[in-house]
Amino acid sequence: MTQPVLRIAINIGSGLLPGLDLVVAGAALAADRLDLELVGIRDGYDGLLYPDRYPDGGLVPLRPAMVDNVGHGGSLIGTAARTDPFRVRVSTADHEVEEVDRSDDILAGLRAAGIGAVISIVGGSAVTGLHALSVAFKLNRKGVRTACIPKSIENEIAGVPQAFGYNSVLSHTAETLERIRIGARDVGRLAVVEVPGQHAGWLALQSGIAAMADAILLPEIPHDLAAVAGALALRERAGHRCALVVVAEGARSAVGAAPSPPAPPGGLRASLTPNADPDFGEGAHVMDRTGGLAETVATALQRLTDREVLPFSLGHLVRGGPPSVLDRQLGLSYGAAAVRALHAGEDGIMVSYRPPDLGSVPLRETLGRIRTVPADGALIQTARALGIALGDEGGAQP
Amino acid sequence: MSATAAGAAGVTGRVLNIQHFCTNDGPGIRTTVFLKGCTLRCAWCCNPESIRPKPELAFDVRKCIGEKECGLCLKECPEDALYVVEADGKVRVNWDLCTDCGKCVPACPTEALFQFGREMTVEEVLAEVEQDAAFYQESGGGLTLSGGECTLQPEFSAALLAEARRRGINTAIETAGNVPWDYFQQVLQHVDIVMHDHKLTDPGRHKRWAGVSNARILENFRRAYTTFPQTRFVARTPVIPGVNDDEEHIRSVLAFIRPYPNVVDYQLLPYHRYGEGKYGFLGRVYALKDFPSVPAETLRRLQGIIDEAFGRTKP
Repeated sequence: MTQPVLRIAINIGSGLLPGLDLVVAGAALAADRLDLELVGIRDGYDGLLYPDRYPDGGLVPLRPAMVDNVGHGGSLIGTAARTDPFRVRVSTADHEVEEVDRSDDILAGLRAAGIGAVISIVGGSAVTGLHALSVAFKLNRKGVRTACIPKSIENEIAGVPQAFGYNSVLSHTAETLERIRIGARDVGRLAVVEVPGQHAGWLALQSGIAAMADAILLPEIPHDLAAVAGALALRERAGHRCALVVVAEGARSAVGAAPSPPAPPGGLRASLTPNADPDFGEGAHVMDRTGGLAETVATALQRLTDREVLPFSLGHLVRGGPPSVLDRQLGLSYGAAAVRALHAGEDGIMVSYRPPDLGSVPLRETLGRIRTVPADGALIQTARALGIALGDEGGAQP
Repeated sequence: MSATAAGAAGVTGRVLNIQHFCTNDGPGIRTTVFLKGCTLRCAWCCNPESIRPKPELAFDVRKCIGEKECGLCLKECPEDALYVVEADGKVRVNWDLCTDCGKCVPACPTEALFQFGREMTVEEVLAEVEQDAAFYQESGGGLTLSGGECTLQPEFSAALLAEARRRGINTAIETAGNVPWDYFQQVLQHVDIVMHDHKLTDPGRHKRWAGVSNARILENFRRAYTTFPQTRFVARTPVIPGVNDDEEHIRSVLAFIRPYPNVVDYQLLPYHRYGEGKYGFLGRVYALKDFPSVPAETLRRLQGIIDEAFGRTKP
């Protein structure tokens, strides 16, 4: 029989989103109602790994009085920078750097603090992606009772239709896009705006629709910029003044799809050491610098449309600001749901809001999959019905 | 072959790559052998695949032909670390779950999944190095050991360099010098040219950008200059914008090396981003993403200071 949990810890993986403190507050209030103690682990797992760094201790007791004044941004307990307990960088006494597995120290630290279960708020880092989710999964496999709360800027977490934070980011993005569109239209320019979305185009699609974009390019639909230019020309002819093209970071060209770069002499491996091929690191699918795609698409569209084009990249700009109303209630709900799930004996799960139910999915099902925009879904149909070009329109001529 | 040489020929090391016809790793045309493992973590590292000592998995998504066409790797992974992205139907690696076991590598028909690093004997490496022996003689080139940190495998490096020398091949190494002195001197006694990095002079800033203080490195260099007076040393600085692209650093390196006549040159290596793509292959984060390159004018100015110190000022 599962041991009753009396003390629960909560921590946050990397990637700040508006209103994370509300999630923590939701958990604190629910824990209090169930006579459970809730403590926050500072900065991911740093509070347990490096308690000496925190004069007031690496663990913070979270009582209802502490969480009265939340919802103004911030995270209350800090987020993990890049610490991975399975690969912690250390400097030895010999001045050498190496990475060591300190996951057992986490287990020992939790035991010593009398913590029976952990709530991890994970996902949605521009830098490390779903790394924190994998860490939570691995710790769960090692025996840490775990409930995860999904947070994401891309809303790509499998099994979770609505990750915390996505709605706020969507609102900020749509507002910004609308400002850019109005500004660009006024000066007769075409704005090409890159928005977050490496694997999933939810943010580009939903914000693009909301801001009445003229074209939206998604990772899910390979695009042909000639087709985009053709569709824009048709819209112009119909009396629209085109001003906004939204591009998800991970949007892909269908033309010459997957262009294998010419094999460098000696094959791929030979190219993987320095100075072998100066062009190699700038190749087609390396880690594109933020804004790189906006520049590429803007330049190509300028050539195809002979219009002056303005590239923008929103990137981190849309992570700030206050949480939306939906995220305020979702954050509090998720915090409370995770506590209730652990109290009810659940383990190895992620809470998930599937209207009208607030339930959970096994962690295993959230890994190894990405929730992408269905090609024939309602949002795509909506975009097409509004005449928004998606870059796969055949037959359109500029 | 002598008994000693025969014994040394069987010593094995972890080799990352052997690259032919290199012109930037010492005089003439050279073959550069990259070894795995490094004790520093420089933020600008252009060989991230060389850092970890053990063989590790890498993935080039461009070469993946997708789950529908293939999907063979998905059946091999014991850690469930491989998954498919619906948008393009191609496989991705969950680097947090991957244990570098390498079981997926032979299953991949297109070499999208491959492994960095393999065990090789001294003889195996030399057989490849000797293929270009004619070029070494023509150009004054030879063998260069690089990394990673080649002095981190002292038995292998020493055996390889000693045997190369015995066969008349000029030997050079590229080193950051952050190893125990015993390792360092064991390797250095078989080297003709030592290209060594002075990344940062301030110990605190060295720790910030390379992971550890440079105390042991500088001590090793000092001892090396005097212990091996016949060996030619070439000091080098990878010039990183906003990190060490200042006159103060260049002048302090010059002050450090100029008292030793066997430090024959000081070279600047302008920062480049050629390594950036490899971080993607390894699922790691490139810390200097978005860093600009060093302006040519800065390099000219810094080079002028070096030329002056070495008495090479143009009229």
